[in-house]
Amino acid sequence: MISQRLKIVICNELNLNPNLIDLYNNTEANEIPGWDSLNHANVIVAIEKNYELRFTGLEILKCKNIGDLQNLIELKIVKS
Amino acid sequence: MNFDLTKISSLLSYDPNDPLLFGSGLFLFLFFFLLLFYRLMANSRNGRILLLTFFSLYFYYKASGLFVLLLIFNAIINFYFGEWIYKSAKHNKKRIILILSIVFNLGVLGYFKYTNFFMQLVADIANSSYDLFDIILPIGISFYTFKSLSYIIDIYLDMIKPTEDFKSFALYVFFFPNILAGPIDRASKFLPQIQNEYIITRKDIAMGLMLIMMGLVKKIMIADYISLNFVDRVFESPLRFTGVENLLAVYGYTLQLYCDFSGYSDIAIGIALLLGFKLMENFNYPFKAKSIADFWRRWHISLSSWLLDYVFRPLQIKFRDRGVAGNVSAILITFVLIGLWHGASWAFIIWGLLHGIYMSIGLWVNKYKKSAYTKLKLSDTKLLGFGQIFVTFNLVTFSFVFFRADSFTNALNVLKQIFYFFKPEILIQFAEAYTPTLVLIIVGLALNFSPNSWMQKSVNIIESLPVAFQAALLTFVIWIVVQVQYADLQPFIYFKF
Repeated sequence: MISQRLKIVICNELNLNPNLIDLYNNTEANEIPGWDSLNHANVIVAIEKNYELRFTGLEILKCKNIGDLQNLIELKIVKS
Repeated sequence: MNFDLTKISSLLSYDPNDPLLFGSGLFLFLFFFLLLFYRLMANSRNGRILLLTFFSLYFYYKASGLFVLLLIFNAIINFYFGEWIYKSAKHNKKRIILILSIVFNLGVLGYFKYTNFFMQLVADIANSSYDLFDIILPIGISFYTFKSLSYIIDIYLDMIKPTEDFKSFALYVFFFPNILAGPIDRASKFLPQIQNEYIITRKDIAMGLMLIMMGLVKKIMIADYISLNFVDRVFESPLRFTGVENLLAVYGYTLQLYCDFSGYSDIAIGIALLLGFKLMENFNYPFKAKSIADFWRRWHISLSSWLLDYVFRPLQIKFRDRGVAGNVSAILITFVLIGLWHGASWAFIIWGLLHGIYMSIGLWVNKYKKSAYTKLKLSDTKLLGFGQIFVTFNLVTFSFVFFRADSFTNALNVLKQIFYFFKPEILIQFAEAYTPTLVLIIVGLALNFSPNSWMQKSVNIIESLPVAFQAALLTFVIWIVVQVQYADLQPFIYFKF
């Protein structure tokens, strides 16, 4: 499951209406309107700011979909 | 019976001037027999793998002689690098092996491709002279090195598990349809296909035939014809032609390059399809692009997506706190590397840098552009779409002046003629003297704007034909192509990269 918080951070950054967007574990970035290779970094920075954490480059490169990203965030929160 | 032994020995020996080109009679003949044996072996997976492996090695040997040994070495060492990374428990160890394998792969590529360029550069800076080494570039090395690297990096990123079967990995590296000039397929997509049963549907056959026919037409009827008859002559000595001729040659070259390389890709993908493999798409109507970023999602997709995944993304994440400047730095570095990948020359670096600059400017003005379009009520209108396509096409065409010209001076000469010696009245004389060339350039460019559905419709028609008609159609297209063939089949442009 994708948390409401993560969904809202992503939608705010991409100017999307969260009520009109469905996010699942296997949703990939390029399926989300506006999340293209150029503003990928902006979305990641927005997530880092909101959750007050810092990913390593490798952690982000290993994420295949939103589900992986969600798991990574939870793992980081538990650790800190 | 009398065998002509010299013919057999020429079939088996390497002649640098006579590679086995797709589209040559000999290739089509051999491929026919390969397909026949391949079908007979439909039930034996190992038999099929071995047959394809040996044919691929033979094909590569015909194109580049003893460099086939380097290719085999590449497959062996990268197979073990992949396994080594996967089996290492500690992250730091994985990282060190990854770096080692990248240094090895890029080192070999760099030695063949860039030694002279950098030695010359050092000599120029030190103001001394340097005698160029006599280094021959093994054909296809830029393509198969990138294929192997994607396998290693994907294992490091946990995207794939290494294959335990060396035969399969070797076939991935050697696979003859894409070894000389791509598409640069990914192991993650290709390796699983080796395990599949050999089943091809009527649709696959129709698609394969369509692609092969289209590729032959693009390559021989359009690319070779306009280059030999016109484009090459102008770029040879631009100052002997008027601006209007130079301009037509520049547009002609854009079309030539597209038809040459996408024609090659079409044939490669079509041939692979007949063998039961789906290769990566390499071109998707690039001239319909509405921005430079869009262009790179449609042009040489297998290279641009490779650099996107393995160069741009890591850099972008590294620079992510610097906002637009971070993105711009990642873009500029990636595009200079795209230029350098094509070869060690300032012209390619300038070409790549130009695209990087286009995209960076696009990124910076994006917000203003969008609000201006809304104010002018242009958003999502056909007029805006047309304008964007027109501007993008001309920016791309402009960049290809540097890509094509043998030297920077020559590129400037082309531009000088266009801007200071245009002479539009020559156009009428030109149209009379070079009618077929002009018609081909206009029709060829117009075809790039045909609706995407045309392709699918043509495939459906071919699919509905009986086999005998399909064979007759293929023969007819080959016959037509041979009739208009102006000279010997020209080597594909991308063979030199």
